Amino acid sequence: MKKKFKRKVKKNYQRNLSKLNLFQVSKFQFKKKCPLSEKNAPKIDYKNVKLLKKYISENGKILPSRITSVSQNKQRKLSLSIKRARILALV
Amino acid sequence: MSLYEHTIIAKQNHSADQLKSLKTKYSKIIEKNEGEIIKIDDWGLLNLSHEINKNKKGNYIHFKLKGNGLTVSELEKNEKIDKNLLRFLTVRVKKFDLDKDYFKQENNFNKYDKKKTERMVNNEKEI
Repeated sequence: MKKKFKRKVKKNYQRNLSKLNLFQVSKFQFKKKCPLSEKNAPKIDYKNVKLLKKYISENGKILPSRITSVSQNKQRKLSLSIKRARILALV
Repeated sequence: MSLYEHTIIAKQNHSADQLKSLKTKYSKIIEKNEGEIIKIDDWGLLNLSHEINKNKKGNYIHFKLKGNGLTVSELEKNEKIDKNLLRFLTVRVKKFDLDKDYFKQENNFNKYDKKKTERMVNNEKEI
């Protein structure tokens, strides 16, 4: 009787482990993709104030890409166009 | 020859006639110095996001032009002296997108746009 009981416990333990592993993998894949390099993404331009305001904090600072998950190439273009909009007092 | 986008901010107390004279003045300067105007946009009176020389509003005029270094340098030389202007900006571009007017839509559908954007924001929050 004692042996049978032990086996059951082991099986349950393994099942739980497999579920845990699945959960962790799905969590890793949940990283956000860059919103500006998708298909049909809006063009980055210093005249497009609505777009630029999404990537600016309340105090008018440029948000870092680790928060907005913008790719490095697009972040460079974003920061350039934000600075141009600042000269014209649009942002 | 390369393509440039050029914007001017004029002071807010100008009348429509004065703005027209400004436009003609600078378009003449462009055409004299080997340049060519493709389009002129009026963005109208906009609120400045921060004050420039104690001005809170400005009249925006936007040029799209073909030219070389001479035209741009001559333009900016004249604009630096001009006391009617607050600021100017020239940007070299590879292509003009003539279909999009970012500032015309806001003026025509201001109220509707605000409601729409509010709805959009609310929807995004729910998702």
